[in-house]
Amino acid sequence: MAKAKASYKVPVLTGEIKVPKVVPGASAYEKMYQGEKDDMAALGFPASLEEGWEIKAVGIFKQLLTHNKALRDYMDICVRCGACTDKCQFFLGTGDSNNMPVGRAELMRRVYRYYFTPAGSLFKGLADAEPFSMEMLKKWFTYYYQCSECRRCSYYCPYGIDTAVITMAAREIMNGIGLGQKYSTVIIHKVFNTGNNIGIPSAALRNTLDELEEEIKDATGKDIKIPMDAEGAEVLLIVPSADFFAMPHMESLIGYAKVFYKAGISFTVSSYASEAANFGMFIGSYRNTQEVNKRIWDEAKRLKVKRVIAGECGHAWRAMYSYSNTMNGPFDFLDSKYRQPTHICDFTLGLVKDGAIKMDPSANDDKIITYHDSCNVARGSRMGMMPEGQFIIPRELIKACANNFHELRNGTNKAETYCCGGGGGILTDEVMNVRIAGSMPKMQAIREAMDNKGVNFLALICAICKTQFTKMYPLYGLDAEMVGGIHQLVSSAIIL
Amino acid sequence: MLDLNFVSGIYVFLTYLAGAIFIIGVVLRIIIYAKTPMPVKIPLTPAPLTPMGAAGRVASEVLLFRSLYRANKPTWVAGYIFHISFLLLILLHFARHFVYHHPLPSWYQLFVSIGIVCGIFMFLSLFYLLFRRMIVDRVRIISILSDYLILIILMMIAVTGLSLNFFISAPALTKIDNKLDPFVTGIAVFHPINIPGNPYFIVHYSLILLLVAYIPFSKVMHFVGVFFSPTRYMTDNPQEERYYKPDAEDLSL
Repeated sequence: MAKAKASYKVPVLTGEIKVPKVVPGASAYEKMYQGEKDDMAALGFPASLEEGWEIKAVGIFKQLLTHNKALRDYMDICVRCGACTDKCQFFLGTGDSNNMPVGRAELMRRVYRYYFTPAGSLFKGLADAEPFSMEMLKKWFTYYYQCSECRRCSYYCPYGIDTAVITMAAREIMNGIGLGQKYSTVIIHKVFNTGNNIGIPSAALRNTLDELEEEIKDATGKDIKIPMDAEGAEVLLIVPSADFFAMPHMESLIGYAKVFYKAGISFTVSSYASEAANFGMFIGSYRNTQEVNKRIWDEAKRLKVKRVIAGECGHAWRAMYSYSNTMNGPFDFLDSKYRQPTHICDFTLGLVKDGAIKMDPSANDDKIITYHDSCNVARGSRMGMMPEGQFIIPRELIKACANNFHELRNGTNKAETYCCGGGGGILTDEVMNVRIAGSMPKMQAIREAMDNKGVNFLALICAICKTQFTKMYPLYGLDAEMVGGIHQLVSSAIIL
Repeated sequence: MLDLNFVSGIYVFLTYLAGAIFIIGVVLRIIIYAKTPMPVKIPLTPAPLTPMGAAGRVASEVLLFRSLYRANKPTWVAGYIFHISFLLLILLHFARHFVYHHPLPSWYQLFVSIGIVCGIFMFLSLFYLLFRRMIVDRVRIISILSDYLILIILMMIAVTGLSLNFFISAPALTKIDNKLDPFVTGIAVFHPINIPGNPYFIVHYSLILLLVAYIPFSKVMHFVGVFFSPTRYMTDNPQEERYYKPDAEDLSL
């Protein structure tokens, strides 16, 4: 561990976010492991890269261009104004020009212009067009996996060009020619086999929940249960599988259980749909996203629940909120009184407001809290009935269960939030330096809040952010205990 | 039979050619953008919940460049000045048809002066944008030849336009002025007549034809694309109303 640490490049935390000197290729050395045959095949992709991949790649590219308005539009309309160039956390952290949103997109546009535009095929130099060579494919594989699909760039782009769309399309094209990323493909394959990203079979899951129930009993003296596969429960709770096994994620799971217990609402988790996360989205594959999402839909039907509630997970919420209805039809067999699915923060805050549960905010008086808006919640979804509900509801919930809350400084939160540096399917150790670099802007903002406001706790509602920050904090010389979910705060404050 | 001199013959042909390329190119692009389906909802949230709200959001981008304002103030100032002055100049050139009749209205000098001021602003803002493209590392590294080309074409259009007001004699300018409206009208009613022969004017006019014909192949198409950007025009109501495009299934998100 000590040795590994020494090899990482960890920026110094000063509280300031500086725009670095541009160095093309500065982070080219960090690459993902390639997807393996079994996993690729299970996801419906060719097992490996074969002769003639260029022609195949161009064919898939063409198909995407005719079936994805955003991609079609975003290939043409960039004027290279530079508005996005200093907005991406991966550029700010690495200084690599290919990590500027426009630099990343141009890797695809060069190929696009070569094959699909008259200017590119006639005047290659003028239009900066390039055939799809092995060298270019290597760049794609490097830089389209140094993007967390957080969409911060799109917020600043005069045309709303969404790099996530471009990254997803690039990954779809690469998967389609047999060049996949090991981390995401392994995980999706596990979901198909076991129902969750970690690959926990149902017996092991039940064991863990039993242990957790005992822990809660020891701590509170109450018989708080976490039912699994309970048919006829009111609520199907879909949480990221990290909530079952990882810290500090489990603290939030305890929090959810206490809320259901105190409100007297029956709930169940599922061993078939034991995963909120949807890595199909990260690799940009409609079919895989749909299939992962369908497990939730099928399970809600099978267990005859009245509502579906999503736990603390950022991109999972985007997938459930934005895609589920499109991909697998409406949850019209559920109770139409409720928004389906509902975010757990929306649900818990509703109970607090109705007086169904009570909080003692002084229970969290040891904490001076700040909140990190997770990118997919902030810029890809909504909570509640009002616009900006995704900002308002988590903050109101934090304030309901704690007395000391401070915002991170403007420009680093809400719609302008920096990503944690681990989203979009890059939360894997082989690109640790990219993750460290990508976390830098948010870490600087947090450092500033620590120095100026005495902040000692970072509240989150995303499993990836939790994992990323608990990994980053020690590397930056901070205590990982200072990171946790909002329902960890709920768990301490709720009066049982 | 049309009674045209050699130069006019060429320019009439080029004018129709450039016009056809522009119209066909732009219309084709609109059709392609409009017909391509979007598989899923991707509004960049917080987003308006209603179509009216979303239209307002697109309008704020088109009319005020709101996102660019958030991103980079100096670029916003220069970009905004350029677009406004260019738009005004296009409108003034068309308005000229209704204004330039003898006797000239008393405010004709003012009319011309507004055009000159717009031309100067257009040139200066373009100069800043070119300067920035060459000086700022982050922008220089992403700039490609066509980015410079379009700036240079536009700057040359501004310079040659201004030169008509500053570098040629008053009688020569009046001569162009008198011949211009009949020429443009002739083009519009498909009964072309001779083009004003002044070389300053010919250069200005040639550059404009070049620009018009180049637009459909260039990044200037952002003036169409901005209306088809799903992150901006989509409403945030995926739960309230099912969004489903059967022909966009099974591909990339």
